[in-house]
Amino acid sequence: MATQRAVVPTQLAVGIGLIAISVILAMGAYRFPPEMGFVILPAYVYPYVVAAFLGGVGLLLSYQALSGGFRELGNDDTGTVPGGKAGAAWVTAGLVGVALLINLIGFVLAAGLLFACSARGFGSRHPVRDLAIGIALTLPIYWLFNAGLGVSLPSLINIWL
Amino acid sequence: MDILSSLAMGFSSALTPINLMWGFIGCLLGTAIGVLPGIGPALTVALLLPITAKVDPTGALIMFAGIYYGAQFGGSTTSILLNTPGESSSMVTALEGNLMARNGRAGPALATAAIGSFVAGTIATVLLTLFAPIVARLALNFGPTEYFAILVLSFTTVSAVLGASMLRGFASLGVGLTIGLIGLDSTSGIARYTLGVPELVDGIEVVLVAVGLFAVGEALYSLLYQTEANEGRHRLTSLWMTRADWKRSVPAWLRGTLIGFPFGSIPAGGAEIPTFLSYSTERKLSKYPQEFSANKGEGAIEGVAGPEAANNASATGSLVPLLTLGIPTSATAAILLAAFQNYNLQPGPMLFETSADLVWTLVASLYIGNVILLVLNLPLVGLWVKLLQIPRPYLNAGILVFATIGVYGMRHSSFDLLLMLAIGWGGVLMRRFDFPVAPVIVGMLLGPMAEKQLRNALSIGEGDWTVFLTQPISAFFLALTLLVLVVPHVLHKRGIKLHEDD
Repeated sequence: MATQRAVVPTQLAVGIGLIAISVILAMGAYRFPPEMGFVILPAYVYPYVVAAFLGGVGLLLSYQALSGGFRELGNDDTGTVPGGKAGAAWVTAGLVGVALLINLIGFVLAAGLLFACSARGFGSRHPVRDLAIGIALTLPIYWLFNAGLGVSLPSLINIWL
Repeated sequence: MDILSSLAMGFSSALTPINLMWGFIGCLLGTAIGVLPGIGPALTVALLLPITAKVDPTGALIMFAGIYYGAQFGGSTTSILLNTPGESSSMVTALEGNLMARNGRAGPALATAAIGSFVAGTIATVLLTLFAPIVARLALNFGPTEYFAILVLSFTTVSAVLGASMLRGFASLGVGLTIGLIGLDSTSGIARYTLGVPELVDGIEVVLVAVGLFAVGEALYSLLYQTEANEGRHRLTSLWMTRADWKRSVPAWLRGTLIGFPFGSIPAGGAEIPTFLSYSTERKLSKYPQEFSANKGEGAIEGVAGPEAANNASATGSLVPLLTLGIPTSATAAILLAAFQNYNLQPGPMLFETSADLVWTLVASLYIGNVILLVLNLPLVGLWVKLLQIPRPYLNAGILVFATIGVYGMRHSSFDLLLMLAIGWGGVLMRRFDFPVAPVIVGMLLGPMAEKQLRNALSIGEGDWTVFLTQPISAFFLALTLLVLVVPHVLHKRGIKLHEDD
C-alpha cells in the first residue's frame, strides 16, 4: 500500500512509458511521406490524435504516480509469490525456445519442449514424463489444426532429424 | 419479410445435422473452458479463428456463439464448487453460491444457476429476435458521421465503464489504438509504424494480441502473483430444488434477465455491471436477508439465481450491437467481429439485408444452444467437475502449447511468437497495475474503422468538422458519450465497483 503523497517509481515508469510511446507516434507521423493529389484527411492526422490522447493519459498517470500512486488500485498485494519468478522464467524460456527452434527441430519436438518447460514453470518435477505427455498431446493438436482447421503446419519432425 | 417467417427459415437451417453438430461442439467447448480456470471464451474463439478458412460461415459462427454463451454456463460451476470464478463475470455467483455449497447446498445452487441461465438466455434471445431487426432498420439511416459518433461512444464506454479507474481504461484504449495504427494505411497506402519489419506491414493480428494477453499474460501473471487457491472442492449434492427454492428463484431469474439484457445491448461493455446490479437488487428485495453472505448467512439462492440470469442475458444482449451496428462491447464480441470480417461479412444493418439467412440461422441456433447447454450442464455436471482434476502444470502448459500453435499456424513466423511473448509480458504489467484488457482488443479493431468513417464523414461534409455536432443523430451519440464519462463517477461515489469481463 502506497503511503500518502509518496512517489511510486514503478508506476511512474508506466506513465513515462506511455508518454514515450506517444512521442514515438508523433515523431513517426511527422516523417510520413507526403501524399499526392487532393487529400481530405492526411494519413498523419489520426496518428497525431492517438499520440495526443496517449500522451495526455500518460501525463495524468505520471502525476498520479508522483502523488501517492494510481488511484483505486484493485490488487495491492505487493511482491511476487515465492518461486514465481523462476516459474515465469521457465515459461518465457520455453516460448523463446519454440520461436527459435520450431523451424529447426520441427513442430512436435518444439511444442513438446514448450510443454515440458511450462509444466516445470508451474511446479512439475518430472521433465521426462512431461516431455512425453507434451509430445503425446501435440500429435492430436497437430491433426486437429492441420486436418480439422485447415491450418498447414510445418512437418512433424524435420527430415534431417 | 416478417420476423416469424424469417425465424422459421432460420430454424430449418439451424436444425440441419451439420449445423446442429457445430452448435453442439461450440456448447461443449464453451462449457469446458467456462469450467476451466485460465482459459476464457475470447482466447478460445481467437484460437479457433483459423477454421474460418475451411468451414462455411454459418457453421463457424454457430460454434463461436456456442462457445461464447456456453462459457457463461460453465463459469458458474467452478464458482459454486471451487470459489474460483472461471470467468470474471461470475464473481457474484462465487460469493453466494460457494457459501451455499459450503453449507451442503451445492446441488440447488448449481441447478438454479443452470436453469436460470437457460431461462434468461431464452428470454434474451426472444428480445434479440424482436429488437435486432428494429435496430438494424434504424441503423440503415446511419451514414459515416453517425458511425463515427457511435464508435467514439463505444470507445468511451468500453474504457470508462470497465475497471476501477477511467484513466487506466483510457490508457488501455490508447495502447489498443496504437496497435491498430501499425500497418498499411488503406487510403494513402503509407506503411505506418512498421519499423522496417516486413511482418508488421499487414498489421498485427487480433488473434496474436488476444492470445498474448489472455494466454501468455495470464499464465505469467498467475505464476508471479497468484498463490494457488487451495480451499478444497465442495461435494456435489442432489440437484433437486425444493418448492421454496423454485419460488425464490423464478422472480430472481426474471429480474436478472430484465437487468442483464439492456446492459448487454448498449455499448456499455461486459456482464459485470448487470450481475452486480442484480445481486444488490436481490439483496434488497429478499425476504431472507439474513441468508446473504454479507450477513454471515448460509448463502441465499436468489443471490445465485439473479446474477446468473443477468450474466447470460447480457451475453445475448451484446449480440444486438454486434450484429446490427458491427460494434463489439466485450473482448469476446470483438473477436467474433474479427470472425465475421474473415468471411468478408461486415456486421451492421446491411447484414440483415444481405445475409439474412445467416443472421436468422444464428439467432435460431441460440434458442437451440440454450437447450443443449441445459442438457449438458445439469445432468452432466459431475463430468465437468472432473475436468478440474487436471493438474495445474499440465492445464497451463497445454493452454500455452495451444496458443503457440494457433499463433504460429497463422503464417509460420517466429517473429509472431516473440511478439506474442512480448505482448504477454505487457499483459502482466497491465494486470499488475490493474489496467483493463478488453479496451486494447476493442481499440485495435475499431481504431482503423473510426479513421475510415472519419475520412468518409469529412469527405461528405467537404472537410467541415462541425458535421458531427450539427447532424442530430451524431450529436445525440456524442452527448451520450459525455454522459458515460460522468455516470461512472456517480456510481463510484455510491460505492459500486466494476470489474472487467473478458
